Amino acid sequence: MNSRSTTFRFAALVFLLQILTATALLLGVGAVLRSQARADAVDLAETVRTDLLATYADGGFAALTHAIQARTGSPSERTTVLFLADDAGRAVAGSLLQVPLGVPSARGYFQVKALRHGQREPEAMLVRATPLAKGGMLVTGTVVENQRHIFALLERATLAALALSIVFAGFAAFASTRLILNRLRDTITTLGRVRAGELSRRVPRDETGDAFARLGHEVNQALDRVEALNAELKLATDGLAHDFKSPLTRLRSALDRIVRTVDSPQALEAVDQALAESERLIAMIETALSITRAEAGIGRESFVPTDLSEMLATIVEIYAPLVEDGGRRIDLEAPATCILPVHRQLLEQALGNLVDNAIKYAAGTITLSLDCQPTGASVTVRDEGMGIPEDQRAQALRRFTRLDEARGGWGAGLGLSLVQAVAHLHGGTVDLRDGAPGLAVTIHLDPLIDDRSQAVETQR
Amino acid sequence: MAQKILLVEDDATTATFIAGGLREEGFVVDHAENGRDGLFLSTDGSYACIVLDRMLPGLDGMAVLAALRGAGVATPVIILSALGAAEDRIMGLTSGSDDYLVKPFAFAELLARIRLLIGRAGAGTAQQTVLRCGDLEMDLLSRRVKRGERTIELQPREFRLLEFLLRHVDQVVTRTMLLEGVWDYHFDPGTNVIDVHLSRLRKKIDEGEPRPLLHTVRGAGYRIGTEP
Repeated sequence: MNSRSTTFRFAALVFLLQILTATALLLGVGAVLRSQARADAVDLAETVRTDLLATYADGGFAALTHAIQARTGSPSERTTVLFLADDAGRAVAGSLLQVPLGVPSARGYFQVKALRHGQREPEAMLVRATPLAKGGMLVTGTVVENQRHIFALLERATLAALALSIVFAGFAAFASTRLILNRLRDTITTLGRVRAGELSRRVPRDETGDAFARLGHEVNQALDRVEALNAELKLATDGLAHDFKSPLTRLRSALDRIVRTVDSPQALEAVDQALAESERLIAMIETALSITRAEAGIGRESFVPTDLSEMLATIVEIYAPLVEDGGRRIDLEAPATCILPVHRQLLEQALGNLVDNAIKYAAGTITLSLDCQPTGASVTVRDEGMGIPEDQRAQALRRFTRLDEARGGWGAGLGLSLVQAVAHLHGGTVDLRDGAPGLAVTIHLDPLIDDRSQAVETQR
Repeated sequence: MAQKILLVEDDATTATFIAGGLREEGFVVDHAENGRDGLFLSTDGSYACIVLDRMLPGLDGMAVLAALRGAGVATPVIILSALGAAEDRIMGLTSGSDDYLVKPFAFAELLARIRLLIGRAGAGTAQQTVLRCGDLEMDLLSRRVKRGERTIELQPREFRLLEFLLRHVDQVVTRTMLLEGVWDYHFDPGTNVIDVHLSRLRKKIDEGEPRPLLHTVRGAGYRIGTEP
């Protein structure tokens, strides 16, 4: 997946937020627990200290010594740390063996490790040293060894939870990305089908009212508009065809009637010429309309599975006598079968145009070749004539443009435009190449292009 | 008895021309100006052929055809359409019509197609294995063609062309009918492509014979028959 793609960024964001949340939660809980445990320990030690300082104030050093001796060893004071030193720093009473090192005689509790009477190992404890007014020092505190164990456990648990949260964050990123892609899939599939020619296809209705539902709704509205415009275009071209054809039909009828009544050879010749011209005009209108409709994608619904090899063989058979009469040859290079859904009549017309051009405006052998692929095919018509110079090839594909007279004008200038429109209708292109010698025109047909792009999409 | 043809066409000029031409050819023609009248007339079953315009005011041609076939009327129908686009042709042919002609058309084309449909309807479905015209004989099983005692060697495409002509002896077949009938090819190349095929066939069949069989019909197409 591309690291700049929105999908990837979204997944990464979800992943990071998940990890951050989990880390903050675990560390926060740890911090609260630690500070609470410390406060409890301090509270306990402070109660004892206040008590003892009161005793000291009442009865002096002796009373304090007595009180500490009484408390030390009492089962209820198991976690209490007590220590009394005289002004020389010698131990007088208490559970500690000596003054814990590193405890400054100032306010506040510090955590130290020290050994108590009857214990084999030094323990962690929170202690506070209080200098006494008439010399000596009182140390009070609470053993926190148990808490220390618990926090070590908590730390390990936190690390394990963080490791797990990475897994869950990864899953959350995957699942949420998946969810979005799934929500978009209907829309993407619909647009693909519409492009393939199913103009009436719409995104399924969605009652959630969220952004995806709105997107689907907007897409549907846009498609409605496209379909309406398309229908209008179809109506307009049909109307135009009808408007042009009615007078042409009457013109033809009139000429037909004259043919049946006149006998004069000169009159007949003139009428024949008029008939031929009217037929040319009719053919031009037909072709121009076919191009417009094909470029608008009208006609995809008429695709039928067709054996292109057979179609080419038929074209070769139809044109062979005419080509052979000109002392030339027409050859076919095609596999035994090549079945694709195509618009039969338009493709026949496009290929007919190419062969016709090769007969009229080129020389030498005409070769029809077919390259068949599972999702498409390329049909090439090659001649051995003068070809079309490279700088004129783009112009040759344009409607109503004729190339220089040396090439005979290429009919009404519609032949190659139709070929191109038919290729576009089949999701393909046309390319004109130097046939070395002559011209090679290739129609690439990709009638299944939409199925294929969907397959690629799924692989991603 | 003269054969009756029903013409359903709203354009008066076209209707007059078609009806006039068909009457000259000896048909009796009834004309309906809209789909409703056309449907009413067509159900009486006495017509040999119905020529039906596709775009009609009110009930359109396709609807008339659907109603007609729905009512079990099997009279051959030729659709006339100003819509030339191929999908309309396909729709026309799959909707139960027997033939489809795009406007504007030559009258000879329409006439040839009407005659072909009427002939087909009368011929029944008997399977023939030998086709004949005068002393020309085509054996469809052994794929041999003889004119009198002379054996004629034909290429496969020439054989199919001659077979199509011999199945319609004494009927005019147009170039587009040949393209559709022999090759199932629906694009009129517009050049003399078909004429070249026919002149080759004529050379093999008629050259050196006192009575030619393959005739060119001016402005229409070809006809095979013993009558000149």
